[in-house]
Amino acid sequence: MKYMIMMFGGLGAATQNRSPEWIAGMHQLLMKLDAELKESGECVASDALADPSQAKTVRFVDSAPVPTDGPFAEVKESLAGYWVVEVDEERALQIASRVVGYTEYPMEVRRIMEHSAQP
Amino acid sequence: MTGVRSGAVTGQQEVEDLLREFAPQVLAALIRRYGQFDACEDAVQEALLAATRQWPGEGIPERPRSWLLAVASRALVDAWRADSARRRRETAAALDPTDRAPAAGLAAHLIADLAGGDGDDTLALLFLCCHPALSPPSQLALTLRAVGGLTTAQIAAAFLVPEATIAKRIVRAKQRIRDAGARFELPGQPQRTERLGVVLHVLYLIFNEGYTTSSGPVLQRADLIAEAIRLTRLLHRLLPGEAEAAGLLALMLLTDARRAARTDADGRIVSLADQRRDLWDTAAIAEGQAILTQTLGSGPVGPYQLQAAIAALHDEATSAAATDWPQILALYDVLTAIAPGPVVTLSRAVALAHVHGPRAGLALLGTLDTDGRLAHTHRLEAVRAHLLEQAGDTTAARDSYLRAAKMTASLPEQRYLELRAVRLHQPRPAQQPDQASHRTP
Repeated sequence: MKYMIMMFGGLGAATQNRSPEWIAGMHQLLMKLDAELKESGECVASDALADPSQAKTVRFVDSAPVPTDGPFAEVKESLAGYWVVEVDEERALQIASRVVGYTEYPMEVRRIMEHSAQP
Repeated sequence: MTGVRSGAVTGQQEVEDLLREFAPQVLAALIRRYGQFDACEDAVQEALLAATRQWPGEGIPERPRSWLLAVASRALVDAWRADSARRRRETAAALDPTDRAPAAGLAAHLIADLAGGDGDDTLALLFLCCHPALSPPSQLALTLRAVGGLTTAQIAAAFLVPEATIAKRIVRAKQRIRDAGARFELPGQPQRTERLGVVLHVLYLIFNEGYTTSSGPVLQRADLIAEAIRLTRLLHRLLPGEAEAAGLLALMLLTDARRAARTDADGRIVSLADQRRDLWDTAAIAEGQAILTQTLGSGPVGPYQLQAAIAALHDEATSAAATDWPQILALYDVLTAIAPGPVVTLSRAVALAHVHGPRAGLALLGTLDTDGRLAHTHRLEAVRAHLLEQAGDTTAARDSYLRAAKMTASLPEQRYLELRAVRLHQPRPAQQPDQASHRTP
């Protein structure tokens, strides 16, 4: 089973008034966790997305696609990064809990659809 | 290379060193004979994979080059047999090797070619892989595979992309080379200088790819640096009279010398001023300086030589405060004169700030705000933040760091910039009474 563990843009705003030590601790936690998941072979893919302020949204306007500056969703709902892990649900929730335990900011855990029929 | 060639289990590194040395020679020998870069390159890749599988366990064969050649020739014949119709269509005028001697016989012919194979073959290969018709990512991938002797999997690991992506990039690159009618030969003047410029740029990009993100757990990245230096060293050996090739090699050595100090134990970026200079690689610095000393003045001065000279001045300083900024500024003035560009202006602003004060640097940065190439990049904003901090304007510096952090697409850089920003900010501990309990140990 594969799960996508998602982090959202609001985390950045939530860290604005934290101390340098707290921010450094968060960076450390994320890097350590990423290294662990890659080391254990549980991580299928992981990426962080550039800040949503750099995003463009392509909309269909007057019968043509038109790119405009900014993300489609609210910045705090905008995807900031993800892990795709090949684990059972319990483990996926455990991974997310480790981050949320530190950041106090929610994460979403979603099952990834299978490309083949379920056995 | 040791004398022990068989029986013993061989070290992975020894195998890889041999393969990387022989790959372009074997490939060139095949192309000289059959003229099909595309098919020959695939065949050599197959031989490299076979060697990677067999040599570490069974030992390196008595004559490793001949072994590779024999296996590659067999792969070539197999491919032709499997696809002879297509081949006939594509090389209607060429000879039909499927009618010729079996692989063993082919290899015997080729071994004679190998003996006479010289550096020009490797150079011609390098020029071919860095053909201007290819996009930079394709030039990088093809150069690393055909000249560097890396497997597709190794290249994919180094660039952090799936193996299939690199495989497709290489197929497309070879297709373009064929479509462009590029030939396996050394380009003559006047194209030669321009084509060499592309080759140097590709090597520079390989180095940068490894250098800009060679931190933390991503160890493969260091391989790209090593490979860029190895290939540039090879180029410098083949073209000792090309001052810019020497300059590029010196630049790589003098820059890579600081690698161990560029990140801390947690993989975080450490700025040049804060680096522990005792961690710098003195042997690499000495080699870079020696090459630079021999080169400067031997030919026309170019951007790589100048950047190497600037790197050398940083490396020679025993502390950040001891850096010879007036000399660095003078070199940036020359660089601005011969190869102007926004990135050079950006670096020159830093030197200017050290010599004439941060406000002078900031004024020069202001001229870049209207330059579309840099105006909306994190690099301009990050330099501005540093200069504002230097000028004591912490509020503006903090805003600038945060803006730069939002703009960068590099995670380590983003973390570095965020940390610089929060360091300038007085945290309000009263509002975070529970924060200690959430700290990681």
